[in-house]
Amino acid sequence: MPQPAGITLSGAITDASRAAVPNAKISVKNVATGQVTETQTSPAGTYSIANLTPGEYEISVAADGFDTKVAKVRLAEAGQQALDLALTAAAGTAAPSLADLGFTPAQAQGSAQEQAWLDKRSHMLKIHQRLGLITAAPLVATLITSSGAGGRNSSASGRELHAALGATTAGLYLTTASFAIFAPKVPSVKTRGPIRLHKAPSWEGWPLNNAATGRRCMESPKRTQRQPG
Amino acid sequence: MTATLLTVLLLVAPLRPAAADGQWVLDQSTPTYHISHPQHQSEGISHEARGKGVCHAGQCDFLIAVPVKSFDSGDTNRDLHMLQVTRGAEFPMVTVRTRLPEAVLGSGTIHAVLEIQFAGQTAQYKEVVFQLTAHGNQIRLTGTVPATLSDFKIDPPSLLAIPVKNEMPVRVDMTWHSL
Repeated sequence: MPQPAGITLSGAITDASRAAVPNAKISVKNVATGQVTETQTSPAGTYSIANLTPGEYEISVAADGFDTKVAKVRLAEAGQQALDLALTAAAGTAAPSLADLGFTPAQAQGSAQEQAWLDKRSHMLKIHQRLGLITAAPLVATLITSSGAGGRNSSASGRELHAALGATTAGLYLTTASFAIFAPKVPSVKTRGPIRLHKAPSWEGWPLNNAATGRRCMESPKRTQRQPG
Repeated sequence: MTATLLTVLLLVAPLRPAAADGQWVLDQSTPTYHISHPQHQSEGISHEARGKGVCHAGQCDFLIAVPVKSFDSGDTNRDLHMLQVTRGAEFPMVTVRTRLPEAVLGSGTIHAVLEIQFAGQTAQYKEVVFQLTAHGNQIRLTGTVPATLSDFKIDPPSLLAIPVKNEMPVRVDMTWHSL
């Protein structure tokens, strides 16, 4: 009775990161006969054992720094059969990981949604910054025209110009502020640093500016005319 | 007689110690980044770095990790902007990996090859010099990593339309102890 054609068992031995494990010792034992065939992996982590007969086999893989891996395989058909195995690093020898340092998955894992929210915050604050610089122009012009808007030397056109510039400044000021007010806030973050100096006066400055310009408008000739002659 | 003498000599001869496995734990570290702008200099420091080293067969693998949001420059606005440009919400950890021969963990100067993951990018720094001082089972390492913003594809932030400099050196002062 002719012997069945030999079976070649081959494959690759890798570690947890799928890197090849060279010089790993491979032992293939025929469970029925007890016959053992040994080889070792190439520099590329591959192995090949030829002329095996059909049957149940126990394959054992051992390498320095790794736990020995044992697997069972049934070889049934002649020809090539492939078996790839991944080894686990032996305890106390594997390179440390983030989990080893005590970081929780929540700390180590990022959030695309949170990043998008930060991106929106930065975008809005950038617009706030630029609008703030733009607002400085009509603000200066308002202050300059204030001298022609009140008192004896005032004129109707001067008051109108001052009022228009003041209204424009106010509009731009509110628009500028809105980008900062409505920019996403970061919860549970205490504000520290020079930003505190910017936030407080920006609220106090508005009513003060309003009071100053309003007082100027109160000294117009129209009011003077109401006084008894 | 000769056999007996040889046996005695073998028994009393000092055995060459095999490379024993060892571990190192980071006790304290204050990584500090430095950013330069023509009108302003700023530094951010973290006190939340953690690290571990595992030695096997004469080689030690070290891992140091720092949460990006733990860096404090003293200005909340600046720190949040830093978090945004470095994509710190998406990639919350800075990790540093290196492998050193166990033999160099004595005293002196060591040259390390560092693999740093930050802002979703990986950069390698060769020949980073650290000064090492050893006291008992503790070692202290000090040095500066010559990192740049472009290494991690970070768009340089700007102040008044002027961008900060590309160089972002990180000073490191670490104390480790062996288990």
